[in-house]
Amino acid sequence: MTLDEIKLGEECRIVRQNLGGATGQRLMDMGFIPGTKVKVVRNAPLIDPVDLLIRGYHVSLRHHEARGVEVERT
Amino acid sequence: MNDPRREITVAVAGQPNSGKSTIFNMLTGARQHVANYPGVTIEKRSGKYSYKGDTVILVDLPGTYSLTSYSQEERIATDFLLYEKPAVVLDIIDASNLERNLYLTFQLQEMGMPLIIALNMMDVAEARGLRIDTQKLSELLKVPVIVTVGNKGKGKEELKTAIINARRNTENNNFRIDYGEKLEPILSLLEKRLSEDLKISLSYPVRWLAVKLMENDSVARRLVEKAFSK
Ligand SMILES: Nc1nc2c(ncn2[C@@H]2O[C@H](COP(=O)(O)OP(=O)(O)O)[C@@H](O)[C@H]2O)c(=O)[nH]1
Ligand SMILES: [Mg+2]
Repeated sequence: MTLDEIKLGEECRIVRQNLGGATGQRLMDMGFIPGTKVKVVRNAPLIDPVDLLIRGYHVSLRHHEARGVEVERT
Repeated sequence: MNDPRREITVAVAGQPNSGKSTIFNMLTGARQHVANYPGVTIEKRSGKYSYKGDTVILVDLPGTYSLTSYSQEERIATDFLLYEKPAVVLDIIDASNLERNLYLTFQLQEMGMPLIIALNMMDVAEARGLRIDTQKLSELLKVPVIVTVGNKGKGKEELKTAIINARRNTENNNFRIDYGEKLEPILSLLEKRLSEDLKISLSYPVRWLAVKLMENDSVARRLVEKAFSK
């Protein structure tokens, strides 16, 4: 499953990310690497952004970006 | 030695919102100059101050999470470090986001930059119940670590002293990230090949270039292609 499918308040773990280019690099810089826990603190259908808590800080992604991150439920 | 008065250039690096501008203002006060980096619309803020007979010129690098070639800001920061060769890089770290901020620090280390760390936002970190062993951090990274609270002016004198001392300390600190048994053999091979080319090895930190090539970084690739095509 992908990060955009995780509901508000739920936690998951990153399996991998498939975003290439600048966005993929930026996520890597922010520590989106396999095994990292992510909590979803805002996720409304069709409304950007999806807000996440990762490694103690907040990151906002667009839905289509969140779709590029494969995760598993913890 | 009888040191004449000197001018040293210090680049101020850090991730966005680490408090880079605040520390920059704290050190330079009103003596600032704003221009653009050559050929781009990204603002280049510089300023200077005198300290114990030395003139220190500070250059505020664009705030970036990393030093890859994906954004103009990152390329500008990287180019400044590679080609202007500042005497010292002052790395502003948000202590309340230590892990993420250290990623940039490691890249600066890998570039062989003489570093000083300002562990900023220490008040925020403490309010969150974080306690950071700054001495241990300094030992592990082999660089001076100064605690600062930029918006309160805390750590100003300590930073100024550390900057002057750092420029006298020209030895390379040999900090090295171990990329593990799968990647290290490839890295050594690349490092060896790159070292054989004098133009490259005299101009660029070879280990850094090897890591960047492994990341398929476009700027690194171009540097090497250019050197080997002659
Ligand atoms: N609490 C606290 N706030 C700080 C500190 N240093 C800077 N700030 C504030 O953090 C915000 C971002 O700082 P700024 O210098 O603009 O960050 P920059 O993006 O790295 O240039 C500003 O509102 C500053 O006043 C600090 O040590 N503690
Ligand atoms: Mg700023």
